[in-house]
Amino acid sequence: MHSSSPLRTVERARPLLGTTVNIRVEYADELAAHRAIDAAFAAVASVHGAMSFHEADSDLARLHRTRCGVRVQLAEQTAEVLREALKLAALSNGVFDVSIATQLVAWGLLPQPAHVNRPAPDACWRDIHLDEEHGVRLERPLWIDLGGIAKGYAVDCAIEALRAHGIDSGCVNAGGDLRTLGGGPHRIVIDTGEAAASHHPVLELGEAAVATSHSRALPDHAAAPHVHGQARTAAGRRECATVVAERCIHADALTKLVLALGPASTDLLLHYDATAYWQDADGCWTTLGTSP
Amino acid sequence: MRSRFLLIPAYALVASAPVHATVYLSVEQAQALMFPGATLTPDFVTLTPEQMKAIEKACDVNVLTPNLKAWRVSTGGWFIADQVVGKHEFIPFAVAIDAQGAVRSVEILEYRETFGDQVRNEAWRAQFVGKTHDAPLKLNSDIKNISGATLSSRHITDGVKRLLTTYALVLAAPHG
Repeated sequence: MHSSSPLRTVERARPLLGTTVNIRVEYADELAAHRAIDAAFAAVASVHGAMSFHEADSDLARLHRTRCGVRVQLAEQTAEVLREALKLAALSNGVFDVSIATQLVAWGLLPQPAHVNRPAPDACWRDIHLDEEHGVRLERPLWIDLGGIAKGYAVDCAIEALRAHGIDSGCVNAGGDLRTLGGGPHRIVIDTGEAAASHHPVLELGEAAVATSHSRALPDHAAAPHVHGQARTAAGRRECATVVAERCIHADALTKLVLALGPASTDLLLHYDATAYWQDADGCWTTLGTSP
Repeated sequence: MRSRFLLIPAYALVASAPVHATVYLSVEQAQALMFPGATLTPDFVTLTPEQMKAIEKACDVNVLTPNLKAWRVSTGGWFIADQVVGKHEFIPFAVAIDAQGAVRSVEILEYRETFGDQVRNEAWRAQFVGKTHDAPLKLNSDIKNISGATLSSRHITDGVKRLLTTYALVLAAPHG
């Protein structure tokens, strides 16, 4: 906050999406800035409410309670995220698969949902049928977790809300999945989860989304929040992936594919015009995808 | 997306003193934002040991202090300023409770968690002093964003749960 500058900065934070979401904007009019931030938080809260695995009245909880084969009407936003998730599943041949909730519950990383259908052991994303009118039908019972993609989507919605309120410079950060507004340059330090790292990676970018995934801080066992959708095993126990893309929904989801596939994720990154900075188990960095 | 990737030696990256602290809102700013136009009257409460025990039993969250900083809102409802213990530090936050006793909004007032223990550890950093001519990059002033730090909000949601229970058992009670 420099009083000599015509633009000042305001930053606020709320507990949402299971993490701390903070929003920073540069403003000329303080009251308008706070209204914009209020609207951005409301956008995040709406995604949280509709797409939470835990909340009993979320779209997902309703779907998990409904008998197999019966069509369930989703909110437009939930349908949009699910459509992106299914597209990523098709492109990655199921390495990205939102039906991994079953694994996450079995590993104790998601709570056991109440009053739901028991998932079929071999059900996968191919059993999810989404129609054009935002309706979804499950061919076999399964549990969907949008945790690997909805946080990025919520960040995109928050950025849109800020823009709609006339903000043209700032940043929305949902626990490491972030998107910048304005040319910056914005500097972002990547927390790779390494203990006593000798170097810290720093990204310099203009208007873009950045997401980072790793599970290094977790205890050393087979369970991890990032699951290889085909193999149903933990992905990226020793690696770290940062993805830069236009939209945060893609940056967020692509980090999981980079963790699961390493350099084999290159074509997927190119498809989304995204760049990944991938740190392997030995601590070596490789740039993948679109040339930065 | 154009981006530039730099590997900065850890000794050249320092957290602004005292730690990576971000002040979001003062209590007064939070009050004005969470209850616009309303008048807030302090109604601070010292919880009795029995009340503290009852709250802990009802919500299964530890009550760390008997001091409850609560304000009565002229338009109905309560504003409570409190704090929870994060990974290392206290995190002050505010809860707005509406006239029906539901959470209206939660704002984190300050965040004092650090980026990586090794950055904060003076002794660890001291070993590199004098080994670089580069101007250190400062977290907060030079680098405002961190990607990948999964800051759990669990302790804050537990704190909100505790304050809602405190509201129900103490503030909303007839002889509260």
